[in-house]
Amino acid sequence: MSKKNKIYWFEGVTEKGVKSLLTDENSKYRWLRSQRNRRILVVLMALGTALVAAGSYWPTLKTNLNLSDETSVVIYSVTAIFAIFAVLVGYLFLRISVRGIADAPDELLDERQIKIRDTSFRYAYYGFGYIVLVLLLLMNIGPEVKLFQPEGNDGSYLIISMMFLCAALPSMILAWRERDI
Amino acid sequence: MLLPMSRNPEEPVYNRIEAARNALGLSRQELADKVGVHYQTVGYLEREEYSPSLVLALRIANALNQEVSDLFSLNPFKKGK
Repeated sequence: MSKKNKIYWFEGVTEKGVKSLLTDENSKYRWLRSQRNRRILVVLMALGTALVAAGSYWPTLKTNLNLSDETSVVIYSVTAIFAIFAVLVGYLFLRISVRGIADAPDELLDERQIKIRDTSFRYAYYGFGYIVLVLLLLMNIGPEVKLFQPEGNDGSYLIISMMFLCAALPSMILAWRERDI
Repeated sequence: MLLPMSRNPEEPVYNRIEAARNALGLSRQELADKVGVHYQTVGYLEREEYSPSLVLALRIANALNQEVSDLFSLNPFKKGK
């Protein structure tokens, strides 16, 4: 009789899923685990997240580029769908590249893995805090530099990108810093 | 320079895990299974890039049939000993 696959709702992982990543069962993903490839993935994730966030600035960009409404709707929709999909896929690969350590519960990790996971969360907390602080300042500094509040701009893409970043930042830090994982 | 997060540059713990493991003919994976850690962690320990907890040090010593004091030290081991 097979053992029940425990679901960790809070972390959003399953026991079998984490154990499969921690062993080398999925050898087809081994190429993702070199530090160079992990770092490339982190850069792509950062660029993708920035692209999603830029969606909030689209009305101003559209005006500056003198695009017609029809053209702008097509560019906007296609780019937004592509960017969000790319970031979601990137996040999936990122979790695989760090063996799911950033999202795994204590009982499935050893003491070194728990330590690097906790450290990555500490750095992610600081990093996320600084990013939010900078964005809040940019929203409010000076009447001519209110970058994210020009007329007609929609902040929802900024919120989506912040949610992506909040979820992915611990894995991004782990992927960037650890030599072997 | 950014050090890996698991490195402890202030107080490295030197060890002879690799020599003891090789003497018993164990692979990293086999030792890892015996002491309940990931095989990468054994690699970090052998490269002295991670200092184990007392519990893990005791488990490793037990698995390698050694005394903790023979296996771990705060000072570098002399070659050939």
